[in-house]
Amino acid sequence: MKSTTKYSYYPGCSLHTTAKEFDISTRVVMEELGIELEDLKDWSCCGGSIAASVSHDVGMAMAARNVALAQKQNLDLLASCSGCYNKSARALKALKEPTEKDRIMAIMSEMGIDVADYNIRVRNVVDVLVNDVDLAPRIKKPLTGLKVACYYGCLLTRPADITGWDSPMFPTSMDRLSEICGAEVVDFRSKTKCCGGPILVSKQEVAFDLTKKLLDEAQSLGADCIVLACPLCDTNLELRQSDIEKKYNVSYNLPILYITEIIGLALGMKPSKLGMNKHIVSAQPVLKKLGL
Amino acid sequence: MTTKAKKATKAKKFVFGLKTDRQLDGDKMNREFLDKVIAEGGKGAAIAACMQCGTCSGGCTNIDLMDMSPRTLILMVQRGEWEKVLKSNALWMCSSCYICTSRCPRGVRPSDVIEAVKAIAIRQGIENDSTRFNQIFVELVQKRGILFEPELMHKYGGLPAMIEQAELGIKLALKGKMSPFPEKIKDPQKFNAALEKAKQP
Repeated sequence: MKSTTKYSYYPGCSLHTTAKEFDISTRVVMEELGIELEDLKDWSCCGGSIAASVSHDVGMAMAARNVALAQKQNLDLLASCSGCYNKSARALKALKEPTEKDRIMAIMSEMGIDVADYNIRVRNVVDVLVNDVDLAPRIKKPLTGLKVACYYGCLLTRPADITGWDSPMFPTSMDRLSEICGAEVVDFRSKTKCCGGPILVSKQEVAFDLTKKLLDEAQSLGADCIVLACPLCDTNLELRQSDIEKKYNVSYNLPILYITEIIGLALGMKPSKLGMNKHIVSAQPVLKKLGL
Repeated sequence: MTTKAKKATKAKKFVFGLKTDRQLDGDKMNREFLDKVIAEGGKGAAIAACMQCGTCSGGCTNIDLMDMSPRTLILMVQRGEWEKVLKSNALWMCSSCYICTSRCPRGVRPSDVIEAVKAIAIRQGIENDSTRFNQIFVELVQKRGILFEPELMHKYGGLPAMIEQAELGIKLALKGKMSPFPEKIKDPQKFNAALEKAKQP
């Protein structure tokens, strides 16, 4: 696959708030690897999994707007957030189907955006890191002795006709990246099980139960941390971890890290430069184990 | 049968001899509901292709909490049993994880069907915590173009939710991850107006 070295970078709502470390670590790691990120100008929320379930057209138009803006910048769109990536890729696919395209274009036209032809691609940061970059020769500080459980969740790899660069049910991209970084990858059976993200608020009990199962397995495998690429999964696994501990009377203290953070560490970057001091569940145990 | 009639029957068939207006078991499908689902983003031919194997239900994240399995839901959509579908809690237990869509051997895309039915349910005036949350979420994204989470929590859960979330909110603020000032896009009015218009049937 031809590798692009410049992208229009779409951070999305979460990376500006609860997942700031994902934004910071994406930017510094990409810079270190010589991949240029140009901010997607005037980006808006992709609508997540929710907007299209209120109105299909509204959901598609919300996501398509960002694709149109990236096309205007004439650069492939790069998203770190699994949700933003998935919904943008879905919108790009719809923009290539005649009837869907007409419906979406009519709404975007009302917004004052008229981009007719689409030849850009929508990529996720994990896809770029695993398929375009030769990471191995650049590893300076291998993460020897660190046991990681890679968690993919839903939107990073599903459905395959939208994503297509890793298996929808048995993905391995983050496992491979972690191994290249020198970490030991545990056989995390729940890696593609759902955390309940979109129903976290409206069906909190259900989401807590699903998330607890993930934390339980990672803990039983002796993982030092869970590695992921989705801010909504992180909301459940990290931000609500203490609520889950209280509700079920259990104790995890399990750091939840973004894939770009552990790659950054292996590239020899300082944890603070990667935003790792911003975690709600402290990343210190991981750093201590690595002697950082 | 005359040749002409034969031709007409043949025209109705598509993959594997299936007919577009009939299910595998020969039940006549109800087009009315199906057309609504198609208009809301579902794919008609794909829904008709369901062979009721149950692979979707087998992998479903929350099937143990649903009063109607994804498999049955697809069958009910085919039959036009919309009262049953719209009243089902399956719509709101679905976490849009796309496992069903990934595993379906017939390309039915149950998650897209459920997504479409959710939108129809909201339009039909079905009200519960999920429909309320989803509508507030969309309304707030429309308002500024970028979601402001504290506002979402306040509008959905009121003061009790704000109090419950206060501890986490303070922790996030101290880490520089929660600003009291919402972000917005350049022209939120135009954005909002276009989407509001698109929402009307």
